[in-house]
Amino acid sequence: MIGCYDFCGHYEWTFAWLEQQGGHELVREYWAKAISEDSQRHAAAEIIPHGFEGMKRYWGHTLAEEAADHVMTAREDVYRIDMRQCPSKGFLLRNGLEQYRDYCDHCMGWIGPLMKKAGFVIDHEHNHCGQCWWEIRRADDPKAPSGPGELSGAQDVRLMPQWKSPRMDLYERSLDADDKTTLP
Amino acid sequence: MSEPSALPYTDTKPVGAADFYTAINATFRFVFARFGREGLRRYWADLGSRYHAPVSQRWAKGGLPAVAQYWREFFAAEPGGEVEVHEQNNEVRLEVRRCPAIAHLRAQGREIVPYFCQHCYFVGEAMAQPAGLSLRVCGGGGSCSQVFRPAVSELAPQNLEDIATLS
Repeated sequence: MIGCYDFCGHYEWTFAWLEQQGGHELVREYWAKAISEDSQRHAAAEIIPHGFEGMKRYWGHTLAEEAADHVMTAREDVYRIDMRQCPSKGFLLRNGLEQYRDYCDHCMGWIGPLMKKAGFVIDHEHNHCGQCWWEIRRADDPKAPSGPGELSGAQDVRLMPQWKSPRMDLYERSLDADDKTTLP
Repeated sequence: MSEPSALPYTDTKPVGAADFYTAINATFRFVFARFGREGLRRYWADLGSRYHAPVSQRWAKGGLPAVAQYWREFFAAEPGGEVEVHEQNNEVRLEVRRCPAIAHLRAQGREIVPYFCQHCYFVGEAMAQPAGLSLRVCGGGGSCSQVFRPAVSELAPQNLEDIATLS
């Protein structure tokens, strides 16, 4: 049996296997179809009809179950997550597992298509070391992402001393895993 | 001093998150849809022989006691299962009374891929072979028996009809 205790390990391994079989497009299709539409249909059932309230319920449950060190900040016009220690990326780093070139892309790979259907856009940044932040706003809200500490105060992941890493990926009003800027 | 873990990878939480079973089920569905039955079996075999290679190495070194200890610790880290692990008569037998994956998927009202239970054979056999062992599975759909024996034994080939197809 393959299990959930090391799920992140074989999930990441699967990205590399799929890329080997069918290239980058197959990995994107896997995130959009298998994960976003099939596995995470309970996220869609919360977020598409209920918007920010659904986000609070979905991530409130799932991040607690994964024992993620995180902070959620919900306002009426924005939903923000500061991921201070990602349990998923943390598992890979602790165990020295890296078969696929950028594991962190999978989050935007499945959340992006879901938010597109739900009518939201995403500002997001990750440092490939287990820290990231997300701000989700309605697609017709032109507001720029917050500055460090503006929404989540001292819990803002951008204020952590280890935040800046040699490779930062930044998404601006994005819904696509490849629609990012990699900052040195 | 505590015994070293039989699991090759460690986590900070003692038990995995059950919601990941929905991703495992969805992955099987996706691979089957793109590559068919043979492609899915290739995925399972590669997963067993490549991703799980560290487990096979431990089994090759530690023999059946290492196999038994691996499954004891594995199922202790899976949420909601009821599994007995017996090591006797030159074999390790897993009596899965309540499969944690099937139980969770059913509780969530998910459509389980019909061939879900075959993954235990194809992944497990690919893990066992490099260690000189072989696996036979009987049952499925929530409970089953899995037996690891030395591959030199007189073993009939796995009959896939002995593994339940889910509807």
